Amino acid sequence: MKPDELNDGLPPERLQPPAPSPQLMAAVQQMRPVRPRSRLGAFAAVAVAALAIPGFVLARHALRLDLGALPRGWVVAAAALWASAFAVSLGAALIPARGDVLPAPARGSRAGLGAVLALLVFGLCASVEAPGISLRPEDVHMSLLGSAGHCARFALLMALPCLVVGLLALRRLAPMGGARLGLALGAAGGALGGLVLHFICPIATAGHVVLGHVGGMALAAALGAAALPLVRKR
Amino acid sequence: MDAEATEATQLMTRYCAGEAAAFQALYALLAPRLLGYLFGLLRDRAAAEDMLQLTFLKLHEARGSYVTGANPIPWTYTIAHRTALDELRKRKRARVRLTGDGGLPAEPAAHVTGVPIEAHQDQADRATPEAARNAVAALDRLPEAQKQALLLTKVHGRSTAEAAMIAGTTPGAIKQRAHRAYLTLRQLLSKEGEPAAPRLTKEAP
Repeated sequence: MKPDELNDGLPPERLQPPAPSPQLMAAVQQMRPVRPRSRLGAFAAVAVAALAIPGFVLARHALRLDLGALPRGWVVAAAALWASAFAVSLGAALIPARGDVLPAPARGSRAGLGAVLALLVFGLCASVEAPGISLRPEDVHMSLLGSAGHCARFALLMALPCLVVGLLALRRLAPMGGARLGLALGAAGGALGGLVLHFICPIATAGHVVLGHVGGMALAAALGAAALPLVRKR
Repeated sequence: MDAEATEATQLMTRYCAGEAAAFQALYALLAPRLLGYLFGLLRDRAAAEDMLQLTFLKLHEARGSYVTGANPIPWTYTIAHRTALDELRKRKRARVRLTGDGGLPAEPAAHVTGVPIEAHQDQADRATPEAARNAVAALDRLPEAQKQALLLTKVHGRSTAEAAMIAGTTPGAIKQRAHRAYLTLRQLLSKEGEPAAPRLTKEAP
């Protein structure tokens, strides 16, 4: 057996297929024209739906008391990072590469995990407090874990519209790698929750931001990773 | 985009516009390859043909998800692969498959490679049936991901990027899986007493 002849033992590249089944042909004969998707359509629809409730909350909720006392550049940079995490993760979950029909799961998991990691590092290394104005968990009579749990739940709540609408959009687009695309979708929703918390949460310690805000984002990512394979259309 | 991809893209666009003839042409273009791929995964010609019909039915239902101008070939492979995986899971759950009258389903006559018996006679001088049987048996023992990578890149000639898209992973992972599949195949064939287990690289003697 020569080296190249291994392929003789492998299945052939082409086989003579049967004719399309009557059921398939009946479906084809009755078909109506459909409009194919655009690459950015699902992204735009989910982004609008995802932004509605967080936007409403931001508009109605009182902003954090120390906002004016914090360095303006830091406030803008942190907001930009949360917003970028949202946009990049959502784009990776929903926008296929040029020439492809489906979003790439590997890109989704890279973007989602990268966003969580970037915000984790930012929270650990670049959290800023305004002395005397920013609050600590004990100032509101809560433990670190208690306050973090409160904010993580809020981030999850803010992530829900993004998750639900995104899952509806992805359920028939994700025949492979559903968990990884779900992870990116959840990370996007969680980043949106973190963005809202950045403007309204008065507790500014690094531990709280990492555990509560970034932790909420990580939980949303895990929820998305678990949910998409379950709702995938078979 | 190569000529085949361009043709498939044009046909898919016309199919979405409601042209039944475009569907027929798309079927003629893709079905032989998809059937070969499904047969490679399932090792059962009848099941592969059923899965082929189901794949095209799913494609028909999902045609609104097609992105204008995209190459539909990796997408159809992905749908076929998922359909085959669902079938394999069902098989694991099912104890015995019986026909309507309680008998065992008949297998169509085909060589172990899936080529019809008559057609296979032409290739008889290229490899012994035993060697082919051993290779197929070894292929069946590969982990699912390695088998998929090998089938897509080495048998079906998909590019690494396309295979990665079909499998929902990265091109690097596909290369690694295909390489591991080759190593595993080589090991398995050596163990089974092949007198001259094939070296699997081009520079091999």
